[in-house]
Amino acid sequence: MVLLESEQFLTELTRLFQKCRTSGSVFIVFNTDDGRTKPVPRKGHIEGFEPADNKCLLRATDGKKKISTVVSSKEVNKFQMAYSNLLRANMDGLKKKDKKSKNKKSKATQ
Amino acid sequence: MQSWLEKGCDKINPPAHSLVLEEVRVVLKYRHCDGNLCIKVTDDVVCLLYRTDQAQDVKKIEKFHSQLMRLMVAKESRSAAMETD
Repeated sequence: MVLLESEQFLTELTRLFQKCRTSGSVFIVFNTDDGRTKPVPRKGHIEGFEPADNKCLLRATDGKKKISTVVSSKEVNKFQMAYSNLLRANMDGLKKKDKKSKNKKSKATQ
Repeated sequence: MQSWLEKGCDKINPPAHSLVLEEVRVVLKYRHCDGNLCIKVTDDVVCLLYRTDQAQDVKKIEKFHSQLMRLMVAKESRSAAMETD
């Protein structure tokens, strides 16, 4: 799993989308990130560890290549704009709504 | 695990916000070759899933995705943010 900077993550994510255009899926997963580096022991708790609650971990994969990045509240605005544009630009293979317009046209002719 | 398919993306919104934010994960799956998109929000107890193949849903899903990300990243003002939504 490659942990990247936000900008690099976006570049790599674009590449993932482009690679998967002919076959395969792109999986994007995100959850909150505590900032923990050690596993939590069964008894007790990690000393000197304050769980952070202002970060989120974003992961992406095509089934083979894995990339990830951590986004904090400071970068979220800038990152989100770029990320939203990226998603909208790449997720363009879905069906456009044509049926309704066709029905309207046939009704108009009748 | 309870799982259901929502008929509209707007319907997924309120139940998703009621999930505990610390344990929630959001999964987005896009298949260009099949032309479908799927978004799943779960806290390992409740699972909300929405699948679509309509281009008009991309914008809604992407907006929803951004909302969730902002909620996760917000600090103790989280409850305030949820109330405004």
